[in-house]
Amino acid sequence: MKYSIPIFWRNKYSYYRLEFTKCKRCNKIAFFRRRVCPFCRSRDVEVLTSKGIGRVISFTVSYFRGSTNLESYPRIIALVELEEGFKVIGELSDVKPEEVKEGMYVEAVLRRFSSDDPYGLIYYGVKFIPRVKK
Amino acid sequence: MGHTVNTSSRLEGKVGIVGWGVYVPIWRVKAIEIARMWGFPEELTKSLWIEEKAIAGEDEDTVTMGWYAAKVAIERGGIDPNEVGAVFVGTESKPYAVKPSATIIADALIDTGVKSASDIEFACRAGGEGIRDSIALVMSGMVKYALAIGSDTAQASPGDVLELTASSGAAAYVIGPEQDSIAVFEGSTVYVTDTTDFWRRDCSPYPRHGEIFTGEPAYFHHIISAAKLLFEELGLKPGDFDYAVFHQPNGKFPLQVGRMLGFPKEKLLPGIVTPWIGNTYNGSALIGLAKVLEEAKPGSRILVVTFGSGAGSDAFSIIVKEGIEERVKKGPKVIDFLERKRYVSYGEYVKSRRIISKIE
Amino acid sequence: MVRDVYILSTSMVKVDRYFNKSYKELTLDVIANVLNNGGVEYIDYVIVSTLLSDSILHQLDISTMLMQYLGLSPIPSFRVETGESSGLAAIELGFSLIASGKADSILIIGIEKLTEYPTNIVNENYSKILDYEVETIRNISPPDYAALIMKEYMKRYKVSREDLTVWPIKMHENALKNPYAQLRFKVSKEKVLNSITIAEPIKLLDTFPIGDGSAVILLGSENTLRRVSSEAVKVLHISSSTSQPLYLRDEILGFTALRNAFKRLLSRFKVNLEETLLEIHDSYSIYAYLILEELGIASKGKAYTMVSELSNVNLSGGLKARGHPFGATGIYQVCEVYSMISSKGLGELRYNGKYGLIHSMSGPDYNSRLCLLEKVM
Repeated sequence: MKYSIPIFWRNKYSYYRLEFTKCKRCNKIAFFRRRVCPFCRSRDVEVLTSKGIGRVISFTVSYFRGSTNLESYPRIIALVELEEGFKVIGELSDVKPEEVKEGMYVEAVLRRFSSDDPYGLIYYGVKFIPRVKK
Repeated sequence: MGHTVNTSSRLEGKVGIVGWGVYVPIWRVKAIEIARMWGFPEELTKSLWIEEKAIAGEDEDTVTMGWYAAKVAIERGGIDPNEVGAVFVGTESKPYAVKPSATIIADALIDTGVKSASDIEFACRAGGEGIRDSIALVMSGMVKYALAIGSDTAQASPGDVLELTASSGAAAYVIGPEQDSIAVFEGSTVYVTDTTDFWRRDCSPYPRHGEIFTGEPAYFHHIISAAKLLFEELGLKPGDFDYAVFHQPNGKFPLQVGRMLGFPKEKLLPGIVTPWIGNTYNGSALIGLAKVLEEAKPGSRILVVTFGSGAGSDAFSIIVKEGIEERVKKGPKVIDFLERKRYVSYGEYVKSRRIISKIE
Repeated sequence: MVRDVYILSTSMVKVDRYFNKSYKELTLDVIANVLNNGGVEYIDYVIVSTLLSDSILHQLDISTMLMQYLGLSPIPSFRVETGESSGLAAIELGFSLIASGKADSILIIGIEKLTEYPTNIVNENYSKILDYEVETIRNISPPDYAALIMKEYMKRYKVSREDLTVWPIKMHENALKNPYAQLRFKVSKEKVLNSITIAEPIKLLDTFPIGDGSAVILLGSENTLRRVSSEAVKVLHISSSTSQPLYLRDEILGFTALRNAFKRLLSRFKVNLEETLLEIHDSYSIYAYLILEELGIASKGKAYTMVSELSNVNLSGGLKARGHPFGATGIYQVCEVYSMISSKGLGELRYNGKYGLIHSMSGPDYNSRLCLLEKVM
């Protein structure tokens, strides 16, 4: 069993949704569900869910071969700035490397991160795809 | 038909569709490439009317596609997801044989634990069954809204003619009370028998089928039976409908069964999507319905008949209400997904569907 | 009362692939001299720095295992781990024990065996220097950050990919003179640009090779000095600091942990970097440029223009060419600087100066450590 059940389960909402933490004391925002502000150490924080719309600040096409449970190479890793004003490091999907442009609009979607095949857990999480037109 | 019907078909518009959404993966592989790979005559793709099919990427599956369709349906309906009391995922390609896909999608969208979530299996009509069950839950007052999802990464053995059409896609419907609905159910029937036209044994990666047997005794018999039952119960004829949407394993079958029931081509074509995205199994009829909802005028009457091997069909009569154009605008449409496409080679397709894979 | 701390002796093995040696045997090779010269009975503590021993070597409490194997028990021991900067962290701990008077003589061992498994397993575990829940589990790895930083650097300062090949070229040239370096061959601009892409635009020849290594330093108080020669090298100070993950930084080209550690160092000691021998943590060539700029050796965006003339930075070949056996790297760096500023020499290499400054960091400056050495007579 390669993957922990509790680790994934207790962070479930941060993995299934794009959560961020806003500090009520210093007003700064940080990606992921937190209990303490990483900037000012205050415990007076609130966890919010992002709408998932953002823009690519920077990206790389990564061939770094690590986990054997990862399905696809290369990965496109991007620094994305969300409309709510915080940055996320995440994977881009549904796009070929040559199509990625800095500044392009993306939306957060639920995708498979990795799976402990053949009989173990599937980890789902948020990746970014080019914004689907409405 | 001469038998007593004990399913109450009349719904009189008390329940309806509050919101809908679809998801089709971006990747496409051309049917002709699959035909050439396995030595099928090229005319076969024309006779089946299949041009290309959509396939899920390596990081997609029934859960991720169903999630997107459900998210759109909820947003389009403008409802609070925490008022969804039941989530059904109709699928024959569950990522876990035991562990509902529905709980993952439900918790991704809904905060409260006060809800039910379950997967339904009935080959390609499980999504339709989910809609029927949703209608019952809403009408009985047990839930305010129910979410019925049909989602599949359809399997077919490489080299089997089924491979030309088996594709990936999802559709989702929020079912709710009449006052929140933008299209209401006039009636619903169901017709199910034990007919083994197509099946997949536990642990088998691919289904098997009876080839020509999947036609007349299965697809045609059940669709026609369910449709005629609905006409009889509601006192309607084909001419009363503006659109007819059928389960579409390829582009030809829905045209054929539609003609057999007495529908002209113009009423059938708007609901046909398979030639460009393939047979999305549980997405099939439901994506066709979404496409029709996105172009139908208020007052239109739509016939939807699903089909699932094993075998059975649901038939629904749906009436579109005033104001549907506004709700259409609230999310991506079927045609947006038809336009959103990138072609991949046969090799990329089999790799992304894990038909070929690296061992550890 | 703060006492002075001295480096009494050092020893290294060539960074290489040692399929035929376990971590115990590799460590034995490197401390054989220390064991032979006697004085073992005077060692108060042994501190072991190693990064992936838990996962790749399946060994916990590795410092005790080494005490048992090497016959050093009953000497007490520690294992220290702070990501890629573990080596300097171990020295920081040893330094503190002597400076505070708790110990007189400390043996610091750096040991890493990365060749026990195929590269993808090493890569997978190396990625755990990032936050497992937020980064690693979401498929983010250290070279991805280096790539984003390199892209931003090139964009902001209008520097081309070709311009930035100077660092690996210089490192490989330097390593030719270091008998302990893993890679001892020249590289050209074309070779760097044509090497395989790790994370675009980072190429294989921008980053360190995978190898095994073991290095050891004997630290001692002034009392222990009487047994050694007329010249000695003092560990003047070690300062360290931590920073936030890249996605929380306002300035992604800023190395604030290094900046803070350097500021703390400068608040205690005057350092003239032009007359100091430096070993900096060039895990990726782009980091080398940023470190040089952060230390004030080059102005922002201009580091690449002065690399070829640098005569006091990474003479060992750096992580790029000498190698980066993770937990042992910091120890190697200190051994190298010690060797070059003392009469020992690193092969034929010598540095005509009194001061040495070693920089080690983990990831994209998630933590940074600085070690200042001074040769005294």
